[in-house]
Amino acid sequence: MVEAQNMCMKYEKGGRYALENINFFIDRGEFVFFVGSSGAGKSTLLKLIIRELKPSDGVLKVFNRNVARLPRHRLPYLRRNIGMVFQDFRLMEERTAYDNVAFAMIVTGASRREIRKRVPHVLGLVGLQDKEKARICDLSGGEQQRVGLARAIANRPAMIIADEPTGNLDPGTTLDIMNLLRSINMRGTTVLVATHNRDIVDRFKKRVIYLDNGKLVGDEQKGIYTHVH
Amino acid sequence: MFISGMIHILGETFKGLFRNRWMCLTSTGVVMVTLLMLGLFMLVNMNISHITDTVKEQVEIVVYIDDQADEATVSDLRQRLSGHHAVAEVFYVSSEEHMNRLQRQLGGILEGYDTALENPLLASYEIKTKIPESVVGLAQEIEAYPGVSEVFYGQGYVENLFAVTGVIQIVGLALMAGLSITAVFLISHTIKLTVMMRKREIAIMKYVGATNWFIRWPFLLEGLLMGFAGAILPMAALYYIYQYSVEWIAVNNLIFLSLLPVQLVVIELAKYLVPLGTGLGVLGSAFSMGRFLRV
Repeated sequence: MVEAQNMCMKYEKGGRYALENINFFIDRGEFVFFVGSSGAGKSTLLKLIIRELKPSDGVLKVFNRNVARLPRHRLPYLRRNIGMVFQDFRLMEERTAYDNVAFAMIVTGASRREIRKRVPHVLGLVGLQDKEKARICDLSGGEQQRVGLARAIANRPAMIIADEPTGNLDPGTTLDIMNLLRSINMRGTTVLVATHNRDIVDRFKKRVIYLDNGKLVGDEQKGIYTHVH
Repeated sequence: MFISGMIHILGETFKGLFRNRWMCLTSTGVVMVTLLMLGLFMLVNMNISHITDTVKEQVEIVVYIDDQADEATVSDLRQRLSGHHAVAEVFYVSSEEHMNRLQRQLGGILEGYDTALENPLLASYEIKTKIPESVVGLAQEIEAYPGVSEVFYGQGYVENLFAVTGVIQIVGLALMAGLSITAVFLISHTIKLTVMMRKREIAIMKYVGATNWFIRWPFLLEGLLMGFAGAILPMAALYYIYQYSVEWIAVNNLIFLSLLPVQLVVIELAKYLVPLGTGLGVLGSAFSMGRFLRV
């Protein structure tokens, strides 16, 4: 599903590597943590997967396609297969929870009937069935991230990418969000999570890819954060 | 898919305008004020051009016919004048007609003077040129024709008139170009600001897989509506200002200020201001969005 072969990334020509010689293969249905301290290259890696950035060297395949060769006009179709969850939620704050989730479906050309049926369903899955009409700015941080999750799964994507999804949340809410991600994964969706929250990584015992200073320094099934730190 | 997309785009356009109403009102206001200034200047410029054109149209060449010339020479002269490429119209004025005009101008002073016996005035051809500015060159050319006694075109005055109207036109065009460029900058920068305030929204749309055109359409329509409203309102204001000015001039008997008709002016202004306003609204939005779409 995601495969990196000797992939390198430099932000500037002649500058230092943000990612250097990265190799890994992630299969369909896996749950993978990318861990490492700030600046290790986790967010860069996720940006490469959604083709916000292009690798400077090597190959990165997503859904069996070399993303560097993907023409710009095909990008929206790649992203519709990937649900994104962000640390800062990135929701349209003046709009309702319903509108935010519905928007992700509207852009794919879903019918109004389908949207009216699906949006309450996914909001229900993340426990926000009674917050449909609430504006984002009136919701708590945890609730906002649930809306983010609902939006990410609205189009039944093959993969969810979460960049520090619990970075702005308290420990209790963090666990709720991670449990939601795990339940999404159990339904067959591949989940990639970039985090430096060691408690979560250790508790979930999933595959862990360790990044340090732009290099991949470890890749363990049922890994725990403390192995390299 | 097409219908739900269209409904979404239209809905988003109006929602966007409402949600960002203060910013949109500011943008529309800037378009309005700029186009109002431009329109006012255009009004003045159009009328100055009209007045100078009217004055220029009155310029003519009077070719006095030599009283010694025989009939064939006079007839030849008329043919040469009528056939000249720069000449629009040729009128023959007999010496009797000249005397009648003189009597009318002088009132009773010439009463009792036997014009039939002692008319010293020469017959002439009065010529209107196709281009008023060609008067000087043409007059010099005609002077050399056989049968011509003298050529008069207001020597000295005409050259000054053309020099002054030329300067007025150049200054007018330069000021209008300057104001148009200012309008383009002001309007496109204000719209850019409106789009910049919503860059986060644009980025989110990109992340959820919206195509560039799906994102662009509501912004372009918003730009179009802002630009259109920003052009129509000054048009209405200019219409009333101009109508009032024309009436004021008529009431105060300032007939030497022959202004252009209201309807004609409004149509001319609309031809320029409405496409400029809407075009700038759309283009301003399109260009401002460019870099935010590269996510």
